[in-house]
Amino acid sequence: MIDFIQNTVDGVMFGSSYALLAIGFTIVFGVMRRINLAFGASIMLGAYVGTWLHVHYQVPVLVVALTTIAGTVLAGIYIERLCFHAVRRDAALASMVSSFVIWMQLEEASIHLLPERTYAFPGLFAAGAYELGPFLFRAEQTTMLVVAAVMVGVLHLLLHRTRFGVALRAISENPLAAAYMGINAAWVVLCAFALVSMVGGIAGYAILATDEQITPFFGLWATFKGLIAMMLGGMGSLPGAIVGGLLLGVVEANALWYLGTEYRDLSAFLLLFAMLVLRPGGLMGQRILGREELAFRRV
Amino acid sequence: MDDYVITVLSNIGMISFIALSAYLLLLTGEISFGQQAYFGLGAYAAGAVTAMLLLPIWAGILVGACLAGLVAMVVGALTLRLSGLYFSISTLAFAEMVRLILLIVHVQVEVEGEMVGPAGAEGFHGIRWMFERDLSLVQFMLLIYGLLALVLIVLLLMERSRLGSVFRMLGSDDLLAEMQGVDTVRYRILAAGVAGVIAGIGGALYAHFTTYVEPQFFNVMLGVHALAYGLIGGLGTAFGPLIGVAIDVGFLEAVRFIQGYRMIVFGGLVAVLLVFMPRGLLDEERVHWLRTLFARRSHARSQRR
Repeated sequence: MIDFIQNTVDGVMFGSSYALLAIGFTIVFGVMRRINLAFGASIMLGAYVGTWLHVHYQVPVLVVALTTIAGTVLAGIYIERLCFHAVRRDAALASMVSSFVIWMQLEEASIHLLPERTYAFPGLFAAGAYELGPFLFRAEQTTMLVVAAVMVGVLHLLLHRTRFGVALRAISENPLAAAYMGINAAWVVLCAFALVSMVGGIAGYAILATDEQITPFFGLWATFKGLIAMMLGGMGSLPGAIVGGLLLGVVEANALWYLGTEYRDLSAFLLLFAMLVLRPGGLMGQRILGREELAFRRV
Repeated sequence: MDDYVITVLSNIGMISFIALSAYLLLLTGEISFGQQAYFGLGAYAAGAVTAMLLLPIWAGILVGACLAGLVAMVVGALTLRLSGLYFSISTLAFAEMVRLILLIVHVQVEVEGEMVGPAGAEGFHGIRWMFERDLSLVQFMLLIYGLLALVLIVLLLMERSRLGSVFRMLGSDDLLAEMQGVDTVRYRILAAGVAGVIAGIGGALYAHFTTYVEPQFFNVMLGVHALAYGLIGGLGTAFGPLIGVAIDVGFLEAVRFIQGYRMIVFGGLVAVLLVFMPRGLLDEERVHWLRTLFARRSHARSQRR
């Protein structure tokens, strides 16, 4: 039982980073009804630029963190312009494939920057752990949970208390009506991309600082974890992204402990497949589905 | 022809199967990220039949194709309710499940003093049917292209038949199709099954061409590339995906000076192409235009006579 609780605690800590990645996907999906497959790759490019500066010019850690975030935002804007803004409105499929090829592009660019297989990634402060009763907490993971909680709070305020948030939600609700109200959709979407890239950059930095290393597989990993967490919670739902991320973290931590490494990812995909077959809207997104597509029986 | 050219041509042929498989589903309006699962299942099943049961290759291809088709139909039935992104992600989840299960599977039998069979992450070695029969690379390439031609003919005939129209109808508006009396459930499962069979044949050939397969090859990159080929080449005709494969595997592989920058060049080209041609080079309009052009020519010729 103690093992299970410890796993669950670890899962929640790590799941908070999945939740942040999922928020990136869910906001883009909310406003565009499209998926940005290159999201993970854009974070990876930002982190690679940061690490590159650290390896070659020994810049301070804070600069690495800021470069990671700034690089991710620039990559995000590039993706938005090329794969989403420029592609015709009725061609969602073309957008997705386009973001996929840009993923490959960013990944190769990153590998050219730092050709070795792994690089050490600098953390903001020295690692440590503390005990609370029978349970062990790692300091960086606790930091990640706090960072995630703060960012979710800030995002919530941004979406519900500012003009930008209202515009974003209006476009997500009904793009045509939003356009009639004089909302400049192209600009809001660009800002939304920059915003989620910033969230992604911060999440990426927190994850990599916990791992203390960066590999070329990070892009794929981040895209997959974010996508799974979003789908589990329900596409387009902000609370869903958080619940989905935490659930994914808990399931993975327990699968890892009880079944072994090779079952960790398998359990995640099995859960996702079962969720899609049985309850396509995810834990929190059924309402979003109900409004839009359940009328057509297929979702 | 030297071995390198033959290998590249064979690769184009084998990858074309999975591209056609993804293309068929694109016609019905489904975006599958998971056709590599059927390619992998076909490869493993065919390898098991020839290397472990020591049966001839046609049995291997048959078993690989049937297994892939059956599994695809089951998955198709399970995911019937899903469309759009939900469907795409479910296929991705299924394909990753297959890959991760193949990483765990250890089934080996002793054949002529050697252990042969899938060995988890180390892959499935010793699928040597081609070498035991002293088949040359050229002969095997002819086998690949023979089967590819067969699949292509079936697909082209299908596109001219009622079935082809039904598939395109599902793709443009399935509610409308259902109102026209089309049994959408049956046709969706059928399309999934046929797509699975096509990918399975490709996988069976691949296993015998490379003599060994590992789960890592059937990752999501293969599946998304297969999808991209159809979109680059065009969704108007079955030749579209082949053009896509030829551009990526053939052209970019052959041009040495962009080696190492391949994805940067290819990615940029495709992204720009999709801005101007969201349904690929040979989309429905251009195919129609080419057809009328061709028809007018032959019409004029018959008039002259």
